[in-house]
Amino acid sequence: MKVLCGMIICCVVAACVVIGCTPAEKPPAEAQTKGRSFGVVFQTMNNPFFVDLNNGMKDVIEAHGDTLITLDSQFNSLKQKNDISDLLLKGVAAVFINPVNWEGIKGSLIQARDKGVPCIVVDAPVKDAELVLCQVASDNVEAGRLAARALAQVRRPANIVILHRSVNKACIDRVAGFTEEIAKYPDMKILDTQEGQGTAEGARPLMRDLLGRFPEINAVFPINDPSALGAVSALESAGKLADVTIVTVDGSAEAVAAIKAGKLHSTSAQFPYEMGKVAAEKAYEHLEGKPVEKDVKIRVELIAAENADAYMQQKKS
Amino acid sequence: MQVRRLCHNKDNIGWGVELLRAGKQYGPLVAAVVGLLCLFRLWVPTLLAPDNLLDLAQQISVNAIIAFGMTLVILIGGIDLSVGALVALVGTTTVFVFTRAPEGAAWVLPAGLAAGLGVAALFGGFNGFFAAKTKMPPFIITLATMLVARGAALGFNEGRPMAIDESHGVFLALGNGRLFGWLPVPVVVMLVLFAIPAVVLHFTRFGRHLYGIGGNSEAARLSGIPLARATVIVYVVCSLLAGVAGMIHTSQLYSAEPASGVGFELNAIAAVVVGGTSFSGGIGAMPGTLIGAVIIGILDKGLNQAGVHFSLQYVVKGGVILGAVFLDVIRRRK
Repeated sequence: MKVLCGMIICCVVAACVVIGCTPAEKPPAEAQTKGRSFGVVFQTMNNPFFVDLNNGMKDVIEAHGDTLITLDSQFNSLKQKNDISDLLLKGVAAVFINPVNWEGIKGSLIQARDKGVPCIVVDAPVKDAELVLCQVASDNVEAGRLAARALAQVRRPANIVILHRSVNKACIDRVAGFTEEIAKYPDMKILDTQEGQGTAEGARPLMRDLLGRFPEINAVFPINDPSALGAVSALESAGKLADVTIVTVDGSAEAVAAIKAGKLHSTSAQFPYEMGKVAAEKAYEHLEGKPVEKDVKIRVELIAAENADAYMQQKKS
Repeated sequence: MQVRRLCHNKDNIGWGVELLRAGKQYGPLVAAVVGLLCLFRLWVPTLLAPDNLLDLAQQISVNAIIAFGMTLVILIGGIDLSVGALVALVGTTTVFVFTRAPEGAAWVLPAGLAAGLGVAALFGGFNGFFAAKTKMPPFIITLATMLVARGAALGFNEGRPMAIDESHGVFLALGNGRLFGWLPVPVVVMLVLFAIPAVVLHFTRFGRHLYGIGGNSEAARLSGIPLARATVIVYVVCSLLAGVAGMIHTSQLYSAEPASGVGFELNAIAAVVVGGTSFSGGIGAMPGTLIGAVIIGILDKGLNQAGVHFSLQYVVKGGVILGAVFLDVIRRRK
């Protein structure tokens, strides 16, 4: 008992000493332009796309002598809210947000506005655009259109299923572009749209179920590379991969490898590294007092077997 | 332990003894809180700023409220895995009522709250009934109801989030409002929902019954404790608390998200066991759980603000949970 009390008292005393001794790091005036920290909160880091996006930002920010804190929300809106408020209260110069829930992020955006911290939204848009400095994203509607056109060239007539992730606006846009283009071809029809969660783990069982329900499936549009790879794995185990054409969006190394192996037809490549760089540059432009455009679109490009090698080389450099 | 708890009579134990016992019980936990705060203070100069501490209290509120209910369930030797899915289901049910009600009707808020909590109570009653009346382990019962609740939540709006209209100001204030302009409403709700079960557990006969059931349910039954009734009440209370947490969560997100709440049950269980409640039942109390939730909250915030890489954060959190429970086990053996 005495020992325990002693321990507690020691801890408290030690604590006071530590708190007392740590210099209150008041940043000197010139530190305003060097050694600042920035924060980025991703909906998930379980996707190579976000790793590239993060690297793009990080390279620009570290080149300015600043640091970037990267956090992973694991598709959990509440964790994302808490992560953002941690960054805001730490005093970051700007926060980059990749929202889990494009409406649910509102509270965090209001908090950032009240703190006077600029928010830059990357990849997936938010609904309350007036609360953010700018949104940097791929042209997702165009990505969907490219996928649909590629499919129309190789698979007619087509019976298509879509593996959606409908809480995410980027995916909603891709599907909108895809369906808009498909509507131009009367012999191509969409059998069903289901929730594949945008992950391989989510898409694989879903693809199996869909195969059971629609034996006539001959084309799939999974809204991103991880779900495309999940669909490939389900089709392979059902022995149907050769009869089904898969077109998707992202352009990750894994998907390009699958294209070269003949398992995927094409992927509308996004340029996440470039997206990260542009987002970070916009933040610096704003901090220097320059005006920043609200809506920044990053190009997309169709990658199929013929340009896969060239794309991979460009991606590495 | 359970025997002493059962015969525990306030009249012949003085306040001094009570205080000493509380010190012995919670001293190490409080020391851990202070220790962690000091540790993170080394990297994060703004850690102890009033803003940041209030934000911490707000961040832990959802987890803590779920954990209070989970404490009661674990105390009687049960477990409730369905709380995370209930968070989503209660939120979607409430917002569904909001969206279907005529514009501006005064009864919308009470109707939404009643529908949400009603669904929660239904699930709690179901869990409790089967836990009390059958030999099925609560782990399996609540695993099943977790799936049912999740499925029901995803049934709303095809699994997509449902936005809450600005006109539901009172409901939005539940998660985002500040009392007197500084005290976050979720913190107030958390403290009230802490105090009620804490008082019941510590000062009422019903509270002592729960310790008895958790210590040895057969002995408790033979000594005349209404086992089934107490079990049902505990599961219903746990579900209702998860429901309140779900409403706060929904309000904070300005939308009901059918896919939210995944893994919340595990976070709550972590807070309960870090707070010193025995996983096999019969030992534990509310203040421990509150401190457990604080410890987990400090870890989350401290690691985030210190800029620790997110992959390392999970490892550190796992290590702290394991360490805390290990120390607790050693301490009890002495």
